Amino acid sequence: MSEAASSEATAVAAATSSQDPELGLAAVAALRGLVEVLEALQVENARAKGWSWQQIAARLGVTKQAVHHKYAGRRFGFRRS
Amino acid sequence: MADRFSGPVGRVMDLAREEADRFGHRHVGPEHLVLGLLRDGSNQAASILRARGLDLAGARAALGRLADRGVVPGPRPSDAELLGTLGIDLEAIGRDLEQSFGIQALQNATREATRARRGGVGRVPRTPLEGPAVLTTQATWLASRRAEALGYDAVSPELLLLGVLEDVRTPWPRCMSNPWVRQLKASVGLPDSYRGAAGALLTALGVDLEELGDAVSAALGAPVS
Repeated sequence: MSEAASSEATAVAAATSSQDPELGLAAVAALRGLVEVLEALQVENARAKGWSWQQIAARLGVTKQAVHHKYAGRRFGFRRS
Repeated sequence: MADRFSGPVGRVMDLAREEADRFGHRHVGPEHLVLGLLRDGSNQAASILRARGLDLAGARAALGRLADRGVVPGPRPSDAELLGTLGIDLEAIGRDLEQSFGIQALQNATREATRARRGGVGRVPRTPLEGPAVLTTQATWLASRRAEALGYDAVSPELLLLGVLEDVRTPWPRCMSNPWVRQLKASVGLPDSYRGAAGALLTALGVDLEELGDAVSAALGAPVS
C-alpha cells in the first residue's frame, strides 16, 4: 500500500484547501506549531537586543503581563534580565 | 550517547526514518527500525532476520496490513504538504530561519514551543520544523545499555535489534504515557495504547521473538538471556 497510498495522500492534500476537516484541521495544527516557534524565536531575539517586555507586547498585540508570563524566566535561552 | 549511534547504526536509523516517511507515518517507532535493518541489508542483524524468512518487501507488506488493522496509522500528509495547501513553503522558511538566527536559536525556540509546562501540557506537541515524532527512545536506550554491559563503544545494528526485541518485552515508562506524550501521539494519529509495533510486526511475520533474541545474543557472543 505504502507508496501508492502516500502519493495519494499528497494528491489529496494538494487538491483540498479546507473543505475536508481532516486536512483543514491538520493544516491549522501545523501552522500553529510554526507560529509558536516563530514567536519564541522573535521574542528571544528582541530580548537579546534589549527590548522591554512592554515594547514586545505592544508589537504582538497582547498585554506585557501575558508575554512576560509566557516567556520570562525560562530555562532555555530566555534570560530574565 | 549521541556518538554511540553514529556509523552503521546511524545509517540504519536514517533508513528507518525514510521507511516511516514512505508509509506516510509522522512518527518513527521500533517497527521502522526493523524495516531500516532489513533495508540496510549489509548488517549481521539483517542476515539473522533473512535466515528466518524475512525480507524488506514482506516486512513492508506486513506493516501495511498492521496499518489496515489500525495498529499503526495509515498514511497522513506531511506538515510540508499541509502547509503547502495554505501556500506556505516550509522548506524555504526553515532555511531562512536557520540562516538569519542560527541553528542553536532555532533549536531553543523549538524546545521552548514544545516543552511541557505546569499542568503537564504545553503549547504545541510538535512543530513542523523538527521532523517526525521519535518514539524509539526506549529501544535505543536499551540497545545502548546492552552495548555498555557487553563492553562495546558503539551500538551496532545487531545491538539495535536486541534493543528492539527487549523493548517489546519491557513496558514503556510512565513518562511515555503522560498527557503531553498522549497529545503528541494523537497529533501523529497513533492510538493512546501504542507502545511500538515491532512485536506485532515480527509476530505477524511468523518470527519467534525469544528464539530470535537468543540468536542475536549468540551472534554477539553474549550470554543467552
